[in-house]
Amino acid sequence: MQSFQRFDRSTTLLIGLLVVAFLLATFDVRTAGDGLGTTMRDGAQTLFSPLQDVASAVTRPVVGFIDALSDIASLREENENLRQENLDLQKQVDQFTSLQAEIEHLRDINDLTAPDDLPTVTAQINSPGSSTLDLVRFINKGVGDGISVGDAVIDEQGLVGRVDLVFRRSARVRLIFDPNVTISVMDEVTSQSGLLTGDNDTLILRIFSADEPVREGNVIVTAGSRFPPGIVVGTVKETAADDAGFGLDTEVIAAINPSRLDFVKVIVGYSPLDAEDQELVEEEEPAEEPPAEDGSVDGEPDVLDPGDAETVDTGATP
Amino acid sequence: MRSRAVAISLLLVFIAVVAQTAVFGDGRINPFGASPAVVLVVVLACARYIDPEPALLLGFTGGMLLDLLGGAPLGLWAMSYTVVVYIALRFRNRADDGPVIVGLGVFSLTLIAHALFVIIGTLFGERFFTSTAVIKNTLLPAAYNVLVAAVVFPIVTRMIGTRQHLGWTT
Repeated sequence: MQSFQRFDRSTTLLIGLLVVAFLLATFDVRTAGDGLGTTMRDGAQTLFSPLQDVASAVTRPVVGFIDALSDIASLREENENLRQENLDLQKQVDQFTSLQAEIEHLRDINDLTAPDDLPTVTAQINSPGSSTLDLVRFINKGVGDGISVGDAVIDEQGLVGRVDLVFRRSARVRLIFDPNVTISVMDEVTSQSGLLTGDNDTLILRIFSADEPVREGNVIVTAGSRFPPGIVVGTVKETAADDAGFGLDTEVIAAINPSRLDFVKVIVGYSPLDAEDQELVEEEEPAEEPPAEDGSVDGEPDVLDPGDAETVDTGATP
Repeated sequence: MRSRAVAISLLLVFIAVVAQTAVFGDGRINPFGASPAVVLVVVLACARYIDPEPALLLGFTGGMLLDLLGGAPLGLWAMSYTVVVYIALRFRNRADDGPVIVGLGVFSLTLIAHALFVIIGTLFGERFFTSTAVIKNTLLPAAYNVLVAAVVFPIVTRMIGTRQHLGWTT
């Protein structure tokens, strides 16, 4: 009887916890990453960030060593002589290599300039999310460093993703591989514009009215609007042509390697609406009537429907 | 004594959360593109030795921490882990049957946790099913968890198990 009561209590608790979790998920999706969810995440980040930093620092040599071991495994035949090396020496070399790579990476990142010389903030990835199903990264810079939601994140290879949540001392970056992320892009060779959508481990380019085929190896860059224009996103994997007027779909090889992300730059201070205002003024304003300083006509701000192709949809209605 | 076991379990889950989010994952230890679900292993190991209600709360807490430090909507991992702990509680006496049963149990429960996460996540608008990587990211963590369990279970048993084993009927 006692065990029955205990079982009954745990079942009741299970149902209660499931209801709480369900409500939390619903509110989180409906508020699109704002409100209670952000407050709770901020608290968790504040609590865990220092611990994660310490854990990362302590385990970095081990992680580097394991990484190096996997490389050695793939080059075993070519490196037979190296196999005999003392394990401690190997560890030291791996540690040194890891540090050297980090310095090189930092140098590359510091040499990197954002399009149009926009101001940037250098940040380090301090957590890759809680599972491999997550297509996010947490960086060690937040509101206090001038980062805000929507900022583009780049590394020396190209576009990494977009800030979708900002905390006091950290921020969450949604990678371009996330299916919820769509980017307005342009083929640098043909100048045709299209939409690039994440597909977990690859990127899909869609051009709805393609006048000419996109060819393998063509570089795809951001077309402006929400992301600053001209950032390299990737290269076309296979040549594709418009199929009977239905547009073309093809895969794009991302410029970045998500497994190798360490230091990144966050482009701050870029306003897509300013860019659109500028474009609008350049296209529509007659030469004899110069635009007002805020980019509006006759000093009145344009009411623009951004109609932005790029979106970071943090969730959908269940 | 039981509250001591619960406190230790909670501490172990916190450590596991830090390890999982800082040491494992993309760009960290991530063999073949997947990493173990260390938090789940710790929760399952502790659930063998504490009462059902604290065990469920422990699973919920572990899952919620992963939600807070991850990219999916809040509550998805919490739901998955709570359900999995509930299933584990129903079968926890089978852990006495030997390491093979424990290994199979950990594999199956990890698989269930990830499958639930993917299914519930899809209901909440996540797009896990657009890629075959979801299969890899469900199966590999289950396999890795069996290896992790071989290390974690004896440690947890040593820390809270010797005097706290509650068996089937509790």
